[in-house]
This record gives sequence, structure tokens and C-alpha cells, in this order.
Amino acid sequence: MHRRAFLKTSTAVSALAVAATLPRLVAIVRADEKVFDPRPGTWRTFEITTRAEVLQPTGVTRVWLPIPVVNSEYQRTLGDRWSGNAKIMRPMTDGKYGASTLYAEFAEGEAAPVVELTSRFRTQNRAIDWSKKVAATADPAELRMWTQPTDLIPTDGIVKVTADEITQGKTTDVEKVTAIYDWILANTYREPNVRGCGVGDIKTMLETRNFGGKCGDINALFVGLVRAVGIPARDIYGIRVAPSAFGYKALGAGSANVSKAQHCRAEVFLRDYGWVAMDPADVGKVAREETSEWLKLDHPLVQAVRPKLFGGWEGNWLAFNTAHDVALPNATKGGKLGFLMYPQAETAEGRRDSLDPDSFKYTITAREITG
Amino acid sequence: MTLTTEHRRWTAFVALVAVCATFALPRAAHTEPTRFLPWTDAPPPSVVLNDLAGRPTPVAEYRGRVVLVSFWATWCEFCREQMLAMKQLRQRLAGRPFEIVAVNFGESPTRVREYVKSLSVDFPVVLDPNQDAVKAWRVRVLPVSFVVDADGRPRYSVLGEFDWASDEAVKTITELLR
Repeated sequence: MHRRAFLKTSTAVSALAVAATLPRLVAIVRADEKVFDPRPGTWRTFEITTRAEVLQPTGVTRVWLPIPVVNSEYQRTLGDRWSGNAKIMRPMTDGKYGASTLYAEFAEGEAAPVVELTSRFRTQNRAIDWSKKVAATADPAELRMWTQPTDLIPTDGIVKVTADEITQGKTTDVEKVTAIYDWILANTYREPNVRGCGVGDIKTMLETRNFGGKCGDINALFVGLVRAVGIPARDIYGIRVAPSAFGYKALGAGSANVSKAQHCRAEVFLRDYGWVAMDPADVGKVAREETSEWLKLDHPLVQAVRPKLFGGWEGNWLAFNTAHDVALPNATKGGKLGFLMYPQAETAEGRRDSLDPDSFKYTITAREITG
Repeated sequence: MTLTTEHRRWTAFVALVAVCATFALPRAAHTEPTRFLPWTDAPPPSVVLNDLAGRPTPVAEYRGRVVLVSFWATWCEFCREQMLAMKQLRQRLAGRPFEIVAVNFGESPTRVREYVKSLSVDFPVVLDPNQDAVKAWRVRVLPVSFVVDADGRPRYSVLGEFDWASDEAVKTITELLR
């Protein structure tokens, strides 16, 4: 029952002359009772709809909407449909990473460009069983790709030096990744004032020792440090689509409108386990935003998620792609994107601010499909 | 169906108030029921917390004095009036062997200090960052208060907001002072 609804109910009861004796109080949940334990096995189906209406268009208007392309043991795409008044509407794919967008091109003079994309997908929780080693196999060439640098994630210089310092004395890939995960938690922090999900310029983060950021910064730094010690790792760019089933408001979408719920996670490839889920940025988010206080890492609320996000995550999130350095097809304005997670648009005046859905404008809604 | 923590929380909350209403309804027609629920469990383990100056302060062990232990939070809207009422209670029992200890529910010293200052609270306020006292006293709602006698034994609990400046409060505590 919603708190407000409950209070209304309380008011009704008071009309029955009970109010004089009903104590006014609020229920609490102790931090040590909070459980965060995502486990695979239950698939959930969602539908996400992105509607872009480019305000005050000039010249030819172009829109790119991310289409989910990740299919794995935790996510299955179930198809996309789109509509709008664009002259051209078709999916286009990035060559290197396979990231996909719905490309919509509107004729000059189209006063109210609108395009809407709806994607369905299934998703489930992830949790690695560390007691069960598997003979993880993957294409060596593909794994090599996930150790390579990107424009914003170099793997040499200060990144390499830092990664080597962190993993000094560690011999196995699990030990090295564990050390980097712990270092990320100890040194970075969630900075709510960062726009969007951050930039992900990890070299600058290390050089300036400014470790405040969001998932696009913190998980990128994690991925870069892991890659720098030769272990395959990748960022996965997506969006939260539902509240956390474990009651963590910081780890879920707050409402059906998810226009600002973008979130990126990470994976590392471990020899005995394959691709393993990781999300140190969300540990920091719980510490900074779960309560009105900035919690320390040893706080029970943070401790409850810290080990679970090393090897798992909750299936209340849609993965779009794993792409970096994305050149939008047919774009005439702006440069490459560090990653593709937000709707994009350009008019004759330039590229729209993808982090400002209200002025762009776009809305993203998500709903769970039941039955 | 899997119940989330939030579900459980609100289910417990609704159940609690339903229980209160169940007890309250039949008596309401005759007389106001007492809000002082007799303590029937074993005494909780001893807990010492820091006050706002960082001084270790026992939550309930003040032998020779009756203690009102009250759990609260700055975000608990029902706690505010109660704080002010407890100030009045302290004034009404001035000079008597009586103490109030307000246990904050896991908030930062800065926030608590500002709040306490704004209300000019003049009794001990202790911080419970790890919820040690919350666990020891099995606190489930805020505010909740416990009256501990001069021998250190919990005697009553009071769930929810209560007018501690009331005659009933003064009478109940005064009886323990004898």
C-alpha cells in the first residue's frame, strides 16, 4: 500500500472514533534487514517506448534512437516497431560493436518531427556461482577486442601504471579484478551533480585525481583498469526499467517515465567463469543516494550490495549495446559519441542536448508485460 | 509471490496499526486506554552510544534514576512534537531523579545537531549509526519510547507519538520515582 493511501485509510479509520487512540508513527526497516540477492531463473518481459519530438526544427532533422541488440544468458530481445512522420526510418548498425539505432530523417520543412520506437525484451537477474568453475570459451579475437583501448578508455600510461599498482602481487584474473573492484569503491564516489551518466574520460580522472562521477565514469574507469592488466572487460550501456525488487530506490527506476534512468554496467571475462556481471558504480550510488546521508562502505545498506554487484546484478534493466566511439550514421553535426545510451538528434543548428529530454524533446517509458 | 522489503515493511506497519485499533475500539467507548504497555520481555542488552559531543553515553543504565529512552529521527514528522513535549516533561519533573535519552535512528551528527539546536533540546541525544540500540530494543516504528525504572529494568513501552507533557505521563513516571 502506498504511504499516502495508507494515511488516507488512517483518516477514514479515525472517522470511526479510533483516531483518538491510534498512535501516530512511522514504520522503519533496519539496515541489517535489507537483502539484496538477485538470482537468475525468473524471466521478466518489458516494453520500452522512446518518443522523440524535435522541437523548433530547422533544415533537415535527424534522430537516432538506441535499439537494444544485446542477446545473452540474461537478456533476449523480442523485436522492435516504430512509427513517425520521417521521410526515412530504418535501423542502422555500427560496424565495430554492432550497436544499433533507429535512424529517422525528416524532410526540411517538417514542422513537427516525431518518431516513436518500441522495443520488447526479456531479462533476468544475474549471479555468478563462484564455487562452480566452468571451462569458459570465447573467440580469442573477440576477447582481444575487449582488452583494446577506446578514445576515452586508454590502457597505457597512467591507466596502466595505476592498474599495475593496484594488482601488484595478484596472480589470478579473479584476484586482479577483485583488487580493482575494491580500489574503485575505495577511491571513487557517486557525484550527483554530474550530468547524465558522466563522460567516461578515465585518463583525466586519474590525472586530476577527481574520482567523482556516475556510472559512465566509474564503470568506465573499472573497465579501463581491468583491460590495462590484460583481462577482457566491457561497459554495457542501457537503462533501468523497473524499481528494484529488493527495495533499493537507488537501484531501480522511480517511475514508468524512465527518460533519465539510463545506466551502464560492466562485465569482465574470467577464465574459469566466462563473462561475469560487475557494477561498482551502483555500490557507490547506494552509498551516496540510498538514504539522505552519505553512507560509508561499511554501512549495512552498502555491505548488502557490495558483494552481490561483484558477479551479479538485478534484471530490472535493459542493455542496449557495448559500443564505444560511436559515429552516428549520416550525421552531419557533432563528433563521435563516447558511448550510445541516449536518444540523439541534429538539426541545421547542430546536435541537440541528449541529456535534456525536455528541450530535445524525448520521453522514454517502460512497462512490464505480464500474462 | 515474493514480498519485497517495502511490502513487508508496509504490511507490518498496517498490521501494527490494525492491532492498535483492535485494542483501542472496544475501550474507546468507555475510557481512554493507557498508552503505557507493560514490558514483559527480558531486559535488552546494555548499549553505550556517543552523544553529540562524542562522549560515551549509556542508553538506559542510570541506576537511581528513572529514564525515558526515546527513539526518533529528524525525518519522522511525529517525533518533532514529541520532542517538545519531552522538554516540558523534563521541566515538570525538574529536581527529581529522572532523565531522558533520545536515540537518533542512524543519521549524521551534523543533521542531528542542527535539528536538536533548532528545538533547543536540553536532554541527552545519542547517535546510533550502526543501529545497535535499535536492534537491542527491537525498534520497529518511530517514535517509540521506553520507561526504565531506577533499578534499570524496562517497565513500559509507548508506541508512536505521545504527549509526554500530559498528566498521564507525569503520573506514570512519578509512580516509578517513589
